[in-house]
Amino acid sequence: MSLDLLDVTVRLGRGESRVTALSGLTVSFAPAALTALVGPSGSGKSTLLAVAGALLRPDAGRVLLNGADIAGLSPAQQARLRRERIGYVFQSGNLLSGLTALEQLLAAASVAGRSPRAVRARAIELLTEVGLGHRLRHRADQMSGGERQRIALARALLLEPDVLLVDEPTAAVDRDRAAGIVDLLAATTRRHSCVTVVATHDPVVVDAADHVVDMARLRAGADSPR
Amino acid sequence: MYLALLELKAARGRFLLMGSVVVLVAALVGIVSGFTTGLGDDTISALRRLPATHLAFDRGADSDQFARSLVGEAELDGWRERDGVEAAPLGVSIARGTTDRKVEVDFAAFGVEPGSFLDPGAASGTALSAGEPSGVVVSQQLVKDGVRVGDLLTVDRLGVELEVTGTTGRSSYGHVPVAYLPVETWQRIRFATPGTRAAVAEPPHQYSAVALKAGAGADLTGADRALTTRTVTVEDAYAAAPGYTGERLTMTSIQAFLYAIAPLVVGAFFAVWTVQRRPELALLRAMGASRARLLGHTLAQAAIVVTAGAVVGAALAAALGLAVGSEVPFSLPAGALVATMATVVLVGLAGTAVTLRKVTTVDPMTMLGAGR
Repeated sequence: MSLDLLDVTVRLGRGESRVTALSGLTVSFAPAALTALVGPSGSGKSTLLAVAGALLRPDAGRVLLNGADIAGLSPAQQARLRRERIGYVFQSGNLLSGLTALEQLLAAASVAGRSPRAVRARAIELLTEVGLGHRLRHRADQMSGGERQRIALARALLLEPDVLLVDEPTAAVDRDRAAGIVDLLAATTRRHSCVTVVATHDPVVVDAADHVVDMARLRAGADSPR
Repeated sequence: MYLALLELKAARGRFLLMGSVVVLVAALVGIVSGFTTGLGDDTISALRRLPATHLAFDRGADSDQFARSLVGEAELDGWRERDGVEAAPLGVSIARGTTDRKVEVDFAAFGVEPGSFLDPGAASGTALSAGEPSGVVVSQQLVKDGVRVGDLLTVDRLGVELEVTGTTGRSSYGHVPVAYLPVETWQRIRFATPGTRAAVAEPPHQYSAVALKAGAGADLTGADRALTTRTVTVEDAYAAAPGYTGERLTMTSIQAFLYAIAPLVVGAFFAVWTVQRRPELALLRAMGASRARLLGHTLAQAAIVVTAGAVVGAALAAALGLAVGSEVPFSLPAGALVATMATVVLVGLAGTAVTLRKVTTVDPMTMLGAGR
């Protein structure tokens, strides 16, 4: 599995507020590797994740998932790609209100057309792995930011995606918990040979990453694979 | 469906509130429907149970025909001579009487020819007889009011005495229970001068209408032309019953108003609900949920809430019908109840439909940078 962005340009907004978020960007993400995407706020990290995750069609360029261009897919095809092959962990606002931790995962399975009953055991296993085995039936919106982020991570991993895109997974957790999450991400990446891209400011994530892509340098035309 | 049910469970307070509103609207629609049917029955059930296809009125009577129309022997005989038509005289008027046991009642006097196809027979006691011109067969409502077989019923201010010989089923006209009597006796009531307390020696041989049982090939238009009558179907003659058209219009207007409210209420709720959960919808889209799935998800929630609300509302309306019994004119047959509630569900879902565009146009990109 590989993910390559070739000469990608994305413009956002309309009229006078239209800005170029990514301009002629080319970057490759290695399979079975955890890549940390770093850079200051506004450098285009989230936009890159959106393009890579088939949430946003670039104005120019190609996005190759295992060699197949996904940039030109229709919205319906993009939605199918997202539910079948891409796992996404958003920075916030990433859970369905009113549902328990376990239901968050079962709902995701339902969206993907999978039987909630069939994935129930695996969902419990994943929530246990992220340290929430004792809070399966607690409402997610009554949990802390860090716990919510771990639920979102478990949900993204549930369907074993080919591409895992994670936005600031450790922003709301303490250092020990952050290390646990990074270990889980790294282990999952290797176990499933998926492409994992993590937008982060956290040195813990950067230290554990197989590669680091600095958006500032990338925009200037130079990648910084470590 | 799984996700729709999860959300219903998670937001059960809000959906219960919405369901309660649907219950109230559905119950109100059911109750109004029951009163519409009940009032209609109370006004025209006597006409509905006439075993006739048409009624021939005097041509000059354009409205309130049962009060205004008078047809004579010549018209009756003329109709009897027409091919494919069976004809019988019918007299209709409202009267008030008091029994010898001092029970005061209003009644609609239906004058019929004993033994004709209009003769209602008798469920108890004896039917009308040409040999007993003062005999009267009363409907169940009069029995409920206290009139019994064997009572002597004196028509107020006229002094005409009637002997109750039998009873028949429920039958009323203009919200007044019906008493069937020989048409000659009806003529004595209809053409007497109130206050004289003296029977008309020889009342005119006239009737309110000629009731017809017309075969498919009967030439009603030609007969009307020849006999100077105006023939209408029995169903069209309902409008001639006092207050029937106004009542129907009023009750139907209320029903239509409720049918208009239902989609607005349900639509408004789901519009607010959709706006409130746009972040969740965006998340579901970002997770790969198709527009069709989100539509199905929303419609499933609406269908569950509206259907459950309609079922409970129907039960309330039916319970009210059982509670009031025959005290008020309320009638809600199962078929009418099902049709009414199906309409509530449909218009409720139609209200939801206006919010569907908001569901399908939600942008998954709103999930990005939410915390930045």
